[in-house]
Amino acid sequence: MPDIASSRANWADDEEFDDPSVLPPQQVINNPDGTKTVVTYRFNDNGKKVKTTRKIRTTIVKEHVNPRVAERKEWAKFGAEKGHSRGPDLSTTSVGENIIFRPSTNWKSTSKEDNTEENKLKDQLKDKKVACRICRGDHFTARCPFKDTLPPLDDAAAPAAEESPAADGPGAIGGSGGGSYVAPHLRGKKGAGESMSGTGGSYKDRDDLATLRVTNVSEFAEESDLREMFERFGRVTRVFLAKDRDTGRAKGFAFISYVDRSDAAKACERMDGFGYGHLILRVEFAKRS
Amino acid sequence: MRPILLQGHERSLTQIKYNKDGDLLFSTAKDHVVCAWYSVNGERVGTYKGHVGALWTVDVDPATTLLATGSADNTIRIWDVRTGKQLKMWEFPTAVKRVEFSEDGTLLLAVTEQRMGHLGTVVVFPITVDLEAEQVDEPNFTITFRESKATVAAWSYLNKYIITGHEDGRVSQYDGKTGELIRDVQAHELDMQITDIQMAPDRTYFITCSKDKTAKILDVNELKVMKTYVTDTPLNTAALTPKKDFVILGGGQEARDVTTTSQRQGKFEARFYHKIFEDEIGRVKGHFGPLNTIAVHPQGVGYASGGEDGYVRVHHFDKPYFDFAYEVEKMKG
Repeated sequence: MPDIASSRANWADDEEFDDPSVLPPQQVINNPDGTKTVVTYRFNDNGKKVKTTRKIRTTIVKEHVNPRVAERKEWAKFGAEKGHSRGPDLSTTSVGENIIFRPSTNWKSTSKEDNTEENKLKDQLKDKKVACRICRGDHFTARCPFKDTLPPLDDAAAPAAEESPAADGPGAIGGSGGGSYVAPHLRGKKGAGESMSGTGGSYKDRDDLATLRVTNVSEFAEESDLREMFERFGRVTRVFLAKDRDTGRAKGFAFISYVDRSDAAKACERMDGFGYGHLILRVEFAKRS
Repeated sequence: MRPILLQGHERSLTQIKYNKDGDLLFSTAKDHVVCAWYSVNGERVGTYKGHVGALWTVDVDPATTLLATGSADNTIRIWDVRTGKQLKMWEFPTAVKRVEFSEDGTLLLAVTEQRMGHLGTVVVFPITVDLEAEQVDEPNFTITFRESKATVAAWSYLNKYIITGHEDGRVSQYDGKTGELIRDVQAHELDMQITDIQMAPDRTYFITCSKDKTAKILDVNELKVMKTYVTDTPLNTAALTPKKDFVILGGGQEARDVTTTSQRQGKFEARFYHKIFEDEIGRVKGHFGPLNTIAVHPQGVGYASGGEDGYVRVHHFDKPYFDFAYEVEKMKG
């Protein structure tokens, strides 16, 4: 019994009193499959200990070249490169993007398919007449120059059309002429509040399908920036960035509406977790409230 | 396929050449330096400094000892490939547009420009492939073009003929020993300049390309047009690939129109055609200016292209390239 106790280090001596500023030594383990596992420790910028485990497989590639070629590989550099060390210099040599090159007899038709894929949206939009809801111009409502000054034509037209049936309601309840004020909750079924929610509802029906809610937006965000980021995935009809009325800073969330739900889905997928400003965006489909 | 980009030049590339073993790549551009690169990793070995005008052309002898360059400073210079030392300089009244060593490296032809009252010529110099030797001053003979100047020229097999391509679209065959005109063919459209000529590895046939948007393969003996490759853009360069029966064509609209058209329309791609079937089989994008020059690795394992954009892109082919074959080719195998 006593020799077991002495062979084992005292539990009190172990670990507990290890100096935390000392790094454990590098470990190299030779695996049975011929690979090597190297475990190293280091401190990162925050002073935390980081363990790095690397698995390394060494393969030796032997290449037979012409002795003249081998001799030329040893040449000293000259001219503008004189005195430079061996190996490509980053200022003159870089590696380009990977190119997929597959020769094929019908490459033209395949490349055309790509084109059609790309042009599909364009074609769709070409047939579609873009009409502003405010001024009927051929731009998106969000881009209308009269956005802030004129009410939408639809809304302006709707109350006018609904005036006569609406007049019955308040008339019956209020017991006075059509001209007098009736509180919204007192109005009839076709009252303004209802009609608002009605038109609003149809608006939502159309828009919500392709509207994204973006949260965790930096408070210095701008609508234009968001538009730029999200327009990459498709035609954006509306960008709404909630702003604090007093400070004018963003409140941290925004809504992005797309023409096409598939674009919205794509944007949702790609932009969720995207770093913007100093924050990581969270993007999801807006829920109907 | 991951291309290696070589940024050794500040102006548009004019010619690139592999040496015979394919391990070195030489490039010339309109700035005044010649660069030598390792083709395998794109490392620059060195530069050859001395020219005081835009460089138009470069060639290396088969043993990779001497390098010849032709320039708009009206000189041809011979360099020691290994050290970058200038060994010889010949002066001319006009710019030198093309130089080429013969198959055995003992002769050098050069095409000079027609300008300022001087007619275009092809001169042939004897070369002693030795770094110590003194090169002769006088050419063996000179071919003078009274009608249309030559823009490109190349040696046939065994130095038997000199093939020239002309500004008016003609291809001519001259005797390699005496410089006499033997044959003359209007290979390309009239008054469409021939922009490049490259010999097949055995020098029994060659490919030419022209501003008439076609490239053609002709045989050196009869100057018979054997194959024609039709494209939709003016061509600056054409190359034959060993190992696979392809040709690579490069071009794009005129350099002066580049800024007025988009990259998409610019057609700045290397186009691969099947040599036998004359079909286009693929394109490789990358340059953002017209391609001025293409060179294929002598073993057919890669190619390099130089563009008006000042970049050289070195490509090493990968498996799909070598695997590609027509059904009939597969059946034969």
